[in-house]
Amino acid sequence: MIGAMRRRLPIFFLTLILANAALAAKLAVPPIPLKHRTLANGLQVYSVEDHSSPTVAIQVWYRVGSKNDPNGRSGFAHLFEHLMFKSTAHMKAEMMDRLTEDVGGFNNASTRDDATEYHEVVPSNYLETLLWAEGDRLATLNVNEENFKSEREVVKEEYRFRVLSPPYGRLFVAIDKDSFEVHPYKRPGIGNIAELDAATLSDVQAFHTTFYRPDNAVLVVVGDFEQSQLDGWVDKYLGGIGHPSSPIPRVTVTEPPRKASKHFEEHGPTVPLAAVASTWLIPEARHKDSPALSVAAAILGLGQSSRLYTSLVYKKKLAVEVEVDADLREDAGLFSSLVIVASGHSAKEGQKELDAELAKLVAKPIPAAELDKAKTQLIASILRGRETNDGKAGDIGNSFVVFHDANGVNSWIDRLQAVTSADVQRVVRKYVTGAKAAVIDYTADGGAK
Amino acid sequence: MSKRFLIFVLFLVPILAFGQTTPPPPAAPRAVHLPQPSEKTLANGLRVIVVEKTGLPLVAARLMIKTGSEAEPDDRAGLADLTASLLTKGTKTKSAEEIARGVEALGATIDSGAGWDDSYVSLSALSNKFAESMKYVADVVMHPTFAKDEIDRLRDQNVDALSVALQSPASLANFVAARVVYGGGPYGHNLGGTPQSLKNIQRDDIVRFHDAHYRPDNAVLVVAGDVKPSAVFTIAETLFGAWKSSGGEAPPPVPPSSSPAAPSRVVVIDMPEAGQAAVIVTRPGLARVDPLFSVALVTNSVLGAGYSSRLNQEIRIKRGLSYGAGSSFDFRRDAGPFSASVQTKNESAVEVAGLIGGEVNRMTSTSVAESELTPRKATIVGDFGRSIETTSGLVGRMSVLALYGLSLDKINSYVSDIQAVSAGDVQQFSTAHLGGDASIIIVGDMKKIGDAVKKSYPNAEIIPLDQLDLDSPALRKK
Repeated sequence: MIGAMRRRLPIFFLTLILANAALAAKLAVPPIPLKHRTLANGLQVYSVEDHSSPTVAIQVWYRVGSKNDPNGRSGFAHLFEHLMFKSTAHMKAEMMDRLTEDVGGFNNASTRDDATEYHEVVPSNYLETLLWAEGDRLATLNVNEENFKSEREVVKEEYRFRVLSPPYGRLFVAIDKDSFEVHPYKRPGIGNIAELDAATLSDVQAFHTTFYRPDNAVLVVVGDFEQSQLDGWVDKYLGGIGHPSSPIPRVTVTEPPRKASKHFEEHGPTVPLAAVASTWLIPEARHKDSPALSVAAAILGLGQSSRLYTSLVYKKKLAVEVEVDADLREDAGLFSSLVIVASGHSAKEGQKELDAELAKLVAKPIPAAELDKAKTQLIASILRGRETNDGKAGDIGNSFVVFHDANGVNSWIDRLQAVTSADVQRVVRKYVTGAKAAVIDYTADGGAK
Repeated sequence: MSKRFLIFVLFLVPILAFGQTTPPPPAAPRAVHLPQPSEKTLANGLRVIVVEKTGLPLVAARLMIKTGSEAEPDDRAGLADLTASLLTKGTKTKSAEEIARGVEALGATIDSGAGWDDSYVSLSALSNKFAESMKYVADVVMHPTFAKDEIDRLRDQNVDALSVALQSPASLANFVAARVVYGGGPYGHNLGGTPQSLKNIQRDDIVRFHDAHYRPDNAVLVVAGDVKPSAVFTIAETLFGAWKSSGGEAPPPVPPSSSPAAPSRVVVIDMPEAGQAAVIVTRPGLARVDPLFSVALVTNSVLGAGYSSRLNQEIRIKRGLSYGAGSSFDFRRDAGPFSASVQTKNESAVEVAGLIGGEVNRMTSTSVAESELTPRKATIVGDFGRSIETTSGLVGRMSVLALYGLSLDKINSYVSDIQAVSAGDVQQFSTAHLGGDASIIIVGDMKKIGDAVKKSYPNAEIIPLDQLDLDSPALRKK
């Protein structure tokens, strides 16, 4: 693999982070002890003191994501994310690398549907330095034309790297495009070459002014620090940054329920094995049905003992890969399945088997052992994600932005545990089997396979 | 949508109350926590290594067989990986489905496969379920059945997965690079095999590979996490104590590849419609036990590891030609490859190959300034420190030491070994190991790559994708 994966845009693998927080009843896992402050300028600050390694993770999540791309500027929020590593009034371009990588830390960022997050992990004696730097690029970003143009070329290469080059790259863009009718989630966060080329430096300044303000951000700090010292530094370097008096523009579009099932044919030039994706609309992440939808996805698709793996991949050998996902987003999510069809078989066979498994799920109560297994798998995977300070901070930031509740990192656990067989059946009936699907067939150009 | 607001807020610049114009300096560094490995060798020869790490209730483990893909015949490429992957697909007492269900119900994950020098079963378990989870590891290592229908299923899946990899410029370039550097030698084939070599593998090959190499005196169990070493030793004794080596001495490791270094080549695979070109510049590198290991790491950190390395500076940051450029040494029992890899638009492939060559040459011709060397070393040290913050990372680091017979104490001298490398060491190393001709592999769309490739590399072998034969060192169908 290529070395540098930074300033990245997770397109399809958001599940890892979205699976939020949970604990097994049999397993004593301490909750994350969150401290919270709101500064006078509106900045939200969450911190977790933990001295188990001499490092500290710093993250800033801005409530602006790909859904906020300006009209005619698909991919802009992501392009902007790259530019946050360029010059400010007090830092040269790439100075963030000098303050992190050069001292044994690292940095990266990602643009999601609902948010853009910036993160660093550094030896803990550099915490003050990084708080200054995050404050500086929030307050005084100052990108020049040369840096802008060169970084735009990088983002175009990222587009080729993610969309044009991998055999299934185009499918990942098609899933959102075909799933949403009116919500801006339908536009690809990675953008396209023409709209990236249309972006200008004045777009960059406008976007920064509009969305990069302390009352639209949450700072998360996890690791080796003393609370009172952290609070003092946060006040000193971030507390004095003002914000415009204008309201922050929000996406207020509501995705309407689908009136009919939809079918799409999508193609790529090199698609050795056909694929078929199905999606169903689900409510906003903070809805009460989210935990049951997550458990439903786990029962169907998490691990080699899941129902769809057992049926499609193992027993019937119709597929080489199956993924099921409850993709929880701030405004509206997707319950989805993706089947990569084995050679010699058709997407139709895979689709038929998927329908049969969904029908079975709503027809018969889920055995207790299977329900427990799915919950335990979800819990253990969340726990593994929290081995590092950076992993914990990411869970907190995501919970704040997508679930509107940072404490969700702890309460999600109880909510998952409380899910019953009847809950799972009810939500699958309501949002999946009793609702309208969008089905996307993905094959090679010319319709082969 | 709310995009119209943009126009109005343009003029509302945030009010700054922002005094400090230079970054505050760091405080004094804090002490690093170093891992303390314990070990014990069972009577049957199984070596057990444990690092206790408290915090979250997690334990990672790896049962490692010290033989991997290097030991398989070229026409059976993929044998080691297929054998290891089949372990979890059925034992004398449990079906594949029962194993998957049992492991997942415990909240554990189990994974098996082969590298060049090892075959492994790795486990990640909740600490209160560790002993129960380990039963599955012991069972699949000692009592696999290698049922015919499981072999056929996995082989078909692997062939399908290969058909995808062969359509992806980056992975295809790696397959080709192995042949170019190592020809028909032990590292020349693809670790996962080719569609043809996978078809050649018979059940007998698998059973023989397992019998010959899966034995306690050729195995190491490495465990890290929230568990006491004494508890692990007891579990290991209970689960593996009765494991016997099947007769005779353990087979010696595959002798070092003695074939003379193949001459460098420039190979272009014409993949019509490739969305991007993959460019690899490669040559033989170093063995893991080479005394110059740390010098190689520091050299590579300057050249191509990490965001601020020279390759990424020149190719991505300065010129916008790629999403990321980097290089690495693949340290193995013998000298694995050094390779620099970049994906770029087809039209830039030749330019990028030239830029990589230029940066490699600069490593040999000019000494690295201390102001560049110091931060690059810090990058390696930081990566190392973070890798041992997770249970699986700790297991990975300890496993490498055990696999190559290095002292476990090296985990605690890693940092000082890196710090001891000088600019002179780097230049001397670069001259000896990176100087002279390297091979170049480009996979992309020749219509867009154009004649530039023939102008820059008159000896380039241009092979259409449908003429490519990965089973042959010549790479071309006869």
